[in-house]
Amino acid sequence: MSDNEHGGSKFTVPIGPQHPALKEPGHFEFGVDGEVVTSATVRLGYAHRGIEKAVETRNWTQNMYLLERICGICSHIHAMAYCLGVEALAEVEVPPRAQAIRVLVAELERIHSHLLWLGVAAHEAGFDTLFMYSWRDRETVMDMLEGLTGNRVNYSANLLGGVKFDLTAELAAEIKRGLAFLEERTQHYLDVVTSDELFLRRTRGVGTMTNEQAELLGVVGPTARASGVNRDIRVIAPYSAYKVFPVTPVVEYAGDLEARFVVRLKELFESYRLCRAVVDNLPPGDITTRFPRRIKAGEVVSRVEAPRGELFYFIRSSGGENPDRVKVRTPTLANMASVISLAVGHQLADIPMLLAGIDPCFSCNDRAVTISGDDDWTWERLRQLGIARYGRPAW
Amino acid sequence: MEAADILRNLFVIAVFPAGLFVLVNGLLYQWADRKVIARLQNRVGPRWFQPFADSLKLLAKEEVVPEGTDPRLFMGLPIVALAGALTAALYLPIAGLAPAYSFPGDLIVTVYMLSLLTLCTGLAGAGTRSRFALVGATRTLTQLFSYEAPFLLAMLGPAVAAGTWQIAEVMDYAGSNLLILVQPVGFVIALIGLMGKLEMPPFDAPEAETEIVAGALTEYSGRGLALFQLGRSVELVCGLTLVAAFYLGGIHNPLDYAIKTVGLLLGLAFLQSLLARLRIDQTVGLWWRYGSLLVLAQWAVMMVTRS
Repeated sequence: MSDNEHGGSKFTVPIGPQHPALKEPGHFEFGVDGEVVTSATVRLGYAHRGIEKAVETRNWTQNMYLLERICGICSHIHAMAYCLGVEALAEVEVPPRAQAIRVLVAELERIHSHLLWLGVAAHEAGFDTLFMYSWRDRETVMDMLEGLTGNRVNYSANLLGGVKFDLTAELAAEIKRGLAFLEERTQHYLDVVTSDELFLRRTRGVGTMTNEQAELLGVVGPTARASGVNRDIRVIAPYSAYKVFPVTPVVEYAGDLEARFVVRLKELFESYRLCRAVVDNLPPGDITTRFPRRIKAGEVVSRVEAPRGELFYFIRSSGGENPDRVKVRTPTLANMASVISLAVGHQLADIPMLLAGIDPCFSCNDRAVTISGDDDWTWERLRQLGIARYGRPAW
Repeated sequence: MEAADILRNLFVIAVFPAGLFVLVNGLLYQWADRKVIARLQNRVGPRWFQPFADSLKLLAKEEVVPEGTDPRLFMGLPIVALAGALTAALYLPIAGLAPAYSFPGDLIVTVYMLSLLTLCTGLAGAGTRSRFALVGATRTLTQLFSYEAPFLLAMLGPAVAAGTWQIAEVMDYAGSNLLILVQPVGFVIALIGLMGKLEMPPFDAPEAETEIVAGALTEYSGRGLALFQLGRSVELVCGLTLVAAFYLGGIHNPLDYAIKTVGLLLGLAFLQSLLARLRIDQTVGLWWRYGSLLVLAQWAVMMVTRS
């Protein structure tokens, strides 16, 4: 920073790639005038892992392992989206019991994700007590997931053509006990975030996104539903067992941070209800079915509602053991633009809250980018560029 | 005579009250504060010697002076900050014993010595080129200007009631009049002003780690950071002593001191774990819209009832 930037309006506060507010690397530059943000830019891609390319070199089954690791929080939903797509390609009918268990795990995952988010968002607002309490209660749902699948994070519950784990009677009773406890706690948190005077000062009327803005920016998930966009893939395009266990969408209209809190907390109640419904009405039968090794050529789009919003998978098969192309669009990418456009005009102190408000997941959304210049970057041109820069290779 | 005087002064500065004692006391109170908050937040919290270990470790570490700062200023400011806080301890009834020094008007000196820490923190942040430190420094100084006037007025309330600006005499008056009942607003403002001074939640916007890393002290490491933290611990003790002496019926003996200051500390810990962080503009708004007006209203009542 040079001296002439000291007093002027060109004072830039960098957030990231390493910053205490960010749990993952991302880079934001906020131009500030005093405390008010005047410009905002984002740069993503620090956690690009090349998963989409790696998927093409592994077979259909191995990819489950890989894709589940796209996100450390909503791991199940990635594998589920992939399975649903591949099963549609292979025209395999999954047993209803397996579908119901998939939905059960997906909803438990949503509970854990939303409780985690509540803690993170509270921490960004400097309300560490709420953070600690919500994460303590989140352990309940983590225990349920561990009891069901043996894992706390990457549950690995899916198989192509079914699920690995069945629900026993003891486990069902334990899940219902846990749900009752969580329901009571969630009601308490809902009361806190809608009535705590100091906390409301940080959320009510902050980061308001109107319905039109939400449609224009193409935001998804709870962020969109907090702005009155009634769009939930579980409702508008039910998949798997959501056809049997319908979901009531939760929509708020205020569009501010408070509404984003309320939407996510109310979605928790819907998830509790769904989990109970699934546990009580679990269809009998097998949990797996036979699945072919090769999948005939074709392409499919698979959309599911991840905890953060619409998760989009495009899968193309050329008839082999490996997929030809898998394209993943995670909800964070769709929501990121809203942070940048909402940030301008807000206080610097609101920025971490705004960012947390979309529940960002950076490494999930980081993808390679094609840079379009005056002409295409061919392999030959890249090679020439490398030679010009580093010298001709010895070989 | 001469030698005895020098020895006494050395003892006062190095050991009790302004030296070792208040440092140890401050670190213990810091631990108690952290522990109570941790237990309230369902965490385990640190062991009793954690603040001591932290301070010793930091003191032993290399102090990195960032580029573009004046090294003398960078290293000098933490020393001034700690010295200011320790000087304040000289005029206070630390541990329930009579103040080491006393003169008419020492209340004003003490209150300003207590502000020195904040001022040094702000200058330290403004002296570096880190953008987080600059924003933090701006917030620290903005906050100073918002709570300082109400805090001073709240501290002067008992002094005006006692008719003196000497801490020892105000305490004598407070010993026979429980001022928390007469001036409840002053007590609340003084306590909350203390939270602002110490940058405790909800007034921790100047060091909000999710926005500006460590605020004004972002560039500090090693000895400088340790001295600032020690200064804050000492200030915690001084502030609690001052509020307890003025509003909670004076401090008469060590047990009285321990009960009253620890009681206030518990109150602070409860408040800190209950409240979410305020934005800096909200802090300023709160102090000038409510804090100042309330304390002025109390002064008006005091003036009317006195005459």
